[in-house]
Amino acid sequence: MRVATDIGGTFTDIVYIDEQGKVCVNKSHTTPPDFEQGVLNVIQKCDISPEEVKDLSHGTTVVINALTERTGAKTGLITTKGFRDILEIGRGNRPDLFNFNFKKPKPFVPRYLRLEVEERMDYQGNELIALKEEDIKTCVDTFKKEGVEAIAIVFLHSYINAEHEKQAKALVEKLMPGIAVTASHEVSKEWREYERTTTAVLNSYVKPSAKTYIDNLYNKLEEMDIKCPKYIMQSNGGTTTFENAKEVPINMVESGPVAGIYGSAMLGEMLGENKVIAFDIGGTTAKCSLVDGGEVKTTTEYKIEKNARFPGYPIRVPVVDIVEIGNGGGSIAWIDNTNSLRVGPKSAGALPGPVAYQKGGTEPTTTDANLIAGRLSPKNFDMDVDMEKVRGAIQEKVGDVYGINTEEAAMGIIRVANSNMLNALKLVSISKGYDPREFALVAFGGGGPMHAAALAKELNIKKVIIPLAASVFSAWGMLMTDLRSDDIQTYRVKLDNPDFDAINAEWEGLEEKACQDNARKGISREDVYFQHYLDMRYIGQDHTVKVKVPNDPMSAENISEFIEAFHREHEQNYSFRLDESGVEIVNIHLASFGRIEKTPIKEAEILPYSLEEAIKEIRPVIFEGDGTLDTKVYDREKMSPGMKLEGPAIIEEVSSSAVIYPGMKASVDKFGDILIETGV
Amino acid sequence: MSSKKVDLITLDIIRDSLLAIGEEMFIAVARTSKSPIIYETLDFASGITDKKGRLLTQGNGACGFLGMLTSLVHSVIEKYTEKGNLKEGDLIICNDPYGGGGSHLQDVGLVLPVFIDGELFGYCVNKCHWSELGGKDPGYAVDSTEIYQEGLQFPCLKLFEEGKINETIVEIIRSNVRLPDMSIGDMWAQISGLRTGQKRLIEICGKYGTRTVDQAIERLIQNSAEFSRSQVGQIPDGIYTASGMMDKDIMGNGPFPIQVKVTIEGDQMYVDFTGSAPQTKSPINVAYDGLVSAIRSVFLACTDSSQNVNDGVFENLHIKAEKGSIFNAIRPAAVSCYYESMQYAQDLIWQAMLPVVEKGKLTAGHFITVGAYSISGTHSVTGETFVDVGPTLGGWGAGFDRDGDSAQFCTGDGETYNIPAEVLEAKFGYRVTEYSLNTTDAGAGEHRGGYGIILGHEALNDDMTFSGTYGRFEYPAWGFEGGKEGAPSGFDFLLKDGTHVPLQGTGSKIQMHKGDVARMVTGTGGGYGNPLARPAEKVAMDVKNEYVSINAAEKIYGVLLEPETFAILGVTDERKKFSEKVS
Repeated sequence: MRVATDIGGTFTDIVYIDEQGKVCVNKSHTTPPDFEQGVLNVIQKCDISPEEVKDLSHGTTVVINALTERTGAKTGLITTKGFRDILEIGRGNRPDLFNFNFKKPKPFVPRYLRLEVEERMDYQGNELIALKEEDIKTCVDTFKKEGVEAIAIVFLHSYINAEHEKQAKALVEKLMPGIAVTASHEVSKEWREYERTTTAVLNSYVKPSAKTYIDNLYNKLEEMDIKCPKYIMQSNGGTTTFENAKEVPINMVESGPVAGIYGSAMLGEMLGENKVIAFDIGGTTAKCSLVDGGEVKTTTEYKIEKNARFPGYPIRVPVVDIVEIGNGGGSIAWIDNTNSLRVGPKSAGALPGPVAYQKGGTEPTTTDANLIAGRLSPKNFDMDVDMEKVRGAIQEKVGDVYGINTEEAAMGIIRVANSNMLNALKLVSISKGYDPREFALVAFGGGGPMHAAALAKELNIKKVIIPLAASVFSAWGMLMTDLRSDDIQTYRVKLDNPDFDAINAEWEGLEEKACQDNARKGISREDVYFQHYLDMRYIGQDHTVKVKVPNDPMSAENISEFIEAFHREHEQNYSFRLDESGVEIVNIHLASFGRIEKTPIKEAEILPYSLEEAIKEIRPVIFEGDGTLDTKVYDREKMSPGMKLEGPAIIEEVSSSAVIYPGMKASVDKFGDILIETGV
Repeated sequence: MSSKKVDLITLDIIRDSLLAIGEEMFIAVARTSKSPIIYETLDFASGITDKKGRLLTQGNGACGFLGMLTSLVHSVIEKYTEKGNLKEGDLIICNDPYGGGGSHLQDVGLVLPVFIDGELFGYCVNKCHWSELGGKDPGYAVDSTEIYQEGLQFPCLKLFEEGKINETIVEIIRSNVRLPDMSIGDMWAQISGLRTGQKRLIEICGKYGTRTVDQAIERLIQNSAEFSRSQVGQIPDGIYTASGMMDKDIMGNGPFPIQVKVTIEGDQMYVDFTGSAPQTKSPINVAYDGLVSAIRSVFLACTDSSQNVNDGVFENLHIKAEKGSIFNAIRPAAVSCYYESMQYAQDLIWQAMLPVVEKGKLTAGHFITVGAYSISGTHSVTGETFVDVGPTLGGWGAGFDRDGDSAQFCTGDGETYNIPAEVLEAKFGYRVTEYSLNTTDAGAGEHRGGYGIILGHEALNDDMTFSGTYGRFEYPAWGFEGGKEGAPSGFDFLLKDGTHVPLQGTGSKIQMHKGDVARMVTGTGGGYGNPLARPAEKVAMDVKNEYVSINAAEKIYGVLLEPETFAILGVTDERKKFSEKVS
């Protein structure tokens, strides 16, 4: 048996698959601040015998919580002389252009804990000034005096020569045994000192709390006799061991959400769709990501707390490329100061939540609008819903302003929310040069199935897939992952006359190191596989394009393939190519995977209900363009593979429902997923 | 459902789509440009106008370009559209500061008219700072006396005619600029952004119909205008004035007296610079369209800075400056450093309006200057020619409830990124000796002004020159309600032989030698409130953080500290008296 658990804001989910390939799911409440308790609870809720568990994967919000709640460790920084203010200077940008009372991001390390030492490399990695070890001792004295709990070490140009950082780290560890230390090259080997500094600092900042959490979880699982290998989901779409996660906890910053994206890619593969757009609507946000050729795209341009008006904090580790917007079930509908209807990004969250929850919410949300429109049923909530209150809020806050009735106002909210989500879906597809018509939309999370069909139609997408485990899909995705690690090394080479041997030696070095790392994680050499990427650009450009390249050694014979792959990728993303321009490599990026044995998923059982018997009720539902229609509502739990139905229809399951528009067809596939043909 | 009402929501959705197009066009340029001033500092703007040339949305970039996109499109309308000489597939290039440009020649505007079914629908427009545009100096001139020295001029020319590129213009560019690949690469990045916008506009019109989209545009502009009127209506009626001095220019002319009178009359705002100095024979003049940009930005800051920008917002803003003055220069005035006077004009309004507008909208004075520098030479390792041009970070003023931000670009910039030291060294081959905060004791207050920076560049060969124009070298940022004034901005040199060449505000092509260090040293913003009112614990923390010297803690803030532990030992008599007076 293989088990995956994922901690969300409200629920901790579990998905497990037995030796026969049967998939089971369950949920239990999340238990802050002792999150590991929720994990144990949900495992105990299931019929799992500990000794049968072959491996366990886990997604956690412990890192992102420590960052956004500022509950990390008291952190000190050691850096190159002349550069301690880099963390405070940042990049000087001000996205809130016309706000002349702008407040820039506050550094995670105050100035008196940012200390400088004598040392210097040049940009080619030559040592200009040797590391003055005396200075490190002085830093450590200050840190001891100030009660510092974690330390980051960042020197200029360590991405190309990390010797001084290694030396300094060894010394710090000797002088302060047991202290959490991060040398920047361990988390990022890309140039740009501010970004590398925040990455190293934030890694150290969360290290102690991540360690405590992982150790607690480990010990409690062991006590339960779950003694199998245990893995943690990382932001790059793969897992790693508990041991490694404690060293580089910053790699877990998007631990949960990316698993759903990865799951979409894997589900696509199972269903013969290697081009999918993953689309996840939760309580406060909608996330989407594009998967082409079965491959989940990663980026190192991730930032926490960034929005249209705030620069956020960069974290330069590979994170699955997700576009996230503030549009979820709890997003609030409001009228802006130019009298236009807006939805989100402000959210009613879990508390007070939508008006429907009756926990004090007074602002109408997308969920409230979906209730009025009949897409959600008050009977399908695990609490009492006061529809009069919901109607009142929508009428007062939106309807009266526009002079329209409650139903029209509710549809207005849904349409504006859809428009926001449509723009996000376009950002990952059309804006990057992809034609959505070639893709299938995989919709999950509580709200995904409700909005997916309308959006797919707008984008001319033919097929929508609503997975069996839609509301616990991140955990499902974790069951599908392999171990993954990424090694990204700034390595600038112009490709007009490169030294092939040097480049190939660099790759070999990275691969060898990856094999050794995997061996330490218990993965033997034959189970390790690689994918090579190059971050490339036209000479003179700054931003690079990540290009998937052949794993073969580069040579005079095949160099043109690499260059052509870049031209194509550039044209795909930016609509032009410059054939006459020189091309250079900026980073080489090795993704290495440690294969985990997986049980094939068994087909879903045929249940003893006919399609007619699966109908729960017929209720009025409003559809854009068609008005109010009497609509059959099906109980997903009574539906079996092979069933087919036509819209208008609703397929309901606990806490979610799929909306099928008139003219669309839906069917249940052999694994129990719902497939919607949009008819476009 | 009543179709008329639901249409309003459709119009809102179209509006959202238009804003999304603006955003997408912006990203397209940023990601494809070849020069750091575009991709790192985002010194560009892009937008969409309707067929009348009214700006509908503008992508983030430099604040200073606000309004210039409108005038660019208007110059195209006057020269081509109105004469029936604008065809589908045309694309216009324009950088004329006095007609359609507003800034300097280096900011090259491109305008792509969008046709739907053969009918003109609107324009996609962008404007980018090209690192090299020819002229007497690499980058741009800081000591030009007339525009002819400043680079190539494109007086609203067709770069494309009916879809076909005019190779002659491209050849002229190629043979007149020092880094043709970079400049032409930027041109293609701009074109790519415009084409993205064009494609999306065509899609939207196809989906909703041009008439509905036109309706959405009217609603957008009218609602914005209405909101803007309600905002100005909240500012008390009255006449608010400010005056000041602009630093001497690089030729030694000046300093220049400047002044403004702002009149709030109901929901209208009138700004009048009459009485400010005449234009000068150095490149710090600004043309009228540039002035408008600066005033529009501070207008937003005074009203609601978060609103979406379109021309409706500014219908109630009226700007006057005498022709031939430093704020409304006429040909052939040199304008390559136009942004300095533009920043001063904005700062005057800021100063006049701070006591009047709602608290929290404006701070005390900021370091004001773009801090434009240009370093050129040959790369110490690769031997390639380089030109490194950009703005400099500095200190912002304190607010009524907060210290000022340190190390931010001036208001004229915006989503502008500094260039990392690691990138500077690799790209330009000099050495960065330090990048730190310039923690002066100036800008003291109950809330402190933010700090500027010190950024040192060491020449690694004998072939490097430094040019810079830093405003507020003579007249630092102003404090408010007892807050102290800030510190000056400029640059100095630490020569290899040990000589310290003191801080200066301006200088052109100063030759450096191997081992010499040029340092940008920028100013602290103004303080807000009396420094004696700053809580002693905060002063102690400032000293511990080495923001404030222990000497200043006593002399300026009146707080006595133990020099090792920074424990508070007591307060000065002056501080005691002040506290008594306040209570």
